[in-house]
Amino acid sequence: MSCARRTARVRIAVWVGTLAGLFVATLFLSGRNSSAQSSLTQASATPGNSEPQVRIPSNVAWTEETLRTISRGDAFRGLLLARRCNHCHGEEGFSSVAAFPNLAGMDRLSFWKQMQDFRAGKRSSPVMEPITQGLTERDSADLAAYFGMLPTAADAQDNRAFPQAMHDPARATMAIRLIVFGDGQRGIPPCQACHGPVNTVKGAPPLSKQNGDYLEQQLEYFSNGLRSNDINVRMRTVARQLTAEEKTALSEYYGAGLGPGVN
Amino acid sequence: MLRLGKKIGFVAGVILFGAVILSTRYYMVDVPVYHFFGHFLGGGEGPDPSALHLRGEFVESNLGAAQGASGSLTVRMIAQQFVFVPQCVEVPAGVPVTFRMTSADVVHMLSFLGTDYGLKVVPGAVTEATFTFAQPGTFKIPCHEFCGAGHYAMRGQLNVVPRERFAHMLPGERRTCELR
Repeated sequence: MSCARRTARVRIAVWVGTLAGLFVATLFLSGRNSSAQSSLTQASATPGNSEPQVRIPSNVAWTEETLRTISRGDAFRGLLLARRCNHCHGEEGFSSVAAFPNLAGMDRLSFWKQMQDFRAGKRSSPVMEPITQGLTERDSADLAAYFGMLPTAADAQDNRAFPQAMHDPARATMAIRLIVFGDGQRGIPPCQACHGPVNTVKGAPPLSKQNGDYLEQQLEYFSNGLRSNDINVRMRTVARQLTAEEKTALSEYYGAGLGPGVN
Repeated sequence: MLRLGKKIGFVAGVILFGAVILSTRYYMVDVPVYHFFGHFLGGGEGPDPSALHLRGEFVESNLGAAQGASGSLTVRMIAQQFVFVPQCVEVPAGVPVTFRMTSADVVHMLSFLGTDYGLKVVPGAVTEATFTFAQPGTFKIPCHEFCGAGHYAMRGQLNVVPRERFAHMLPGERRTCELR
């Protein structure tokens, strides 16, 4: 009985030992063969002679705490606060000037982030920077909740600049291609992969109800670096690749209300 | 006897499998420790994926090729949905170049198309590998791990230039070849 047990133990030990030996040998060989090491290391920068000055694009990070702050937004309090936004952004969240962004149905996370960035001077605007000085994080969350729940359906009483006419309908093909497929050869991901409706990424606003003039201006600012508050250079990298004609085509297509969207 | 035969067969199979794997000329650098023991070894000790832009070595002003004190070249890149940042990297040919990469969201995998090298990029960990690109040329860097709706358009570029044409790096310089 005990002899049999011992034999079983020995057998198991041989198995485990063989497997472990092969595993270690494989690791060793693969490491030597590819002359490449992989490691799990801490985020400590390798010391160099002189480090460039650290540039922080935005103080906002999508931590659990940030998401909690934003999701606590009170839409009714936002409604009261939003009275001072009406003049430019419209009573229904649709502005009467195409160069100002529409806020109806705006994504709460992106709205909140832009407010923080204006306040910290990470995104420059002579109009918005002073206005946001008076807003706390909670105020921004309340406003985000309010604008996020505004309907995006057309209202006959509303004085909205949206949608605008598309100057050159022939550009629609170019816009559709970029929105749906992007351009893999140049490394341009499709717009709808981050801005919806196919998939959304935190901090990417919906575009389907946005004014064309505003979009074109922002694309231009992203590509020439005047706006650089996107986390990890994501939007700047994409906008840099777009030609001037593509920027116009995209913004006109979205500004004409033709872009895909959920609302 | 039969058992012994089975055992020998199994071991031979494992060895054969390993030989096939090792004989291919494609070297994908993985993060094996992370996969097998990451949970127990504290896989969360790498950079915080949501705060790469705030602190650490992956802040945007530190991305791109950098020259260390000893003259070694290090390229730092972020993979994220659905772009590589920086999207275009320039390195000299015939010189070992160390890549340090991390992800800001999900697992990505990239290969330098046309060379033998590839990397797996995991959020919360740094993948480090040293490659030597023998031939100058332009190599696309597609993403190889499905990472979301824009996965198939996620593509960077690697420019390997002859060593003498790679201009001397200034102290503190971070070099990319992105469109400006």
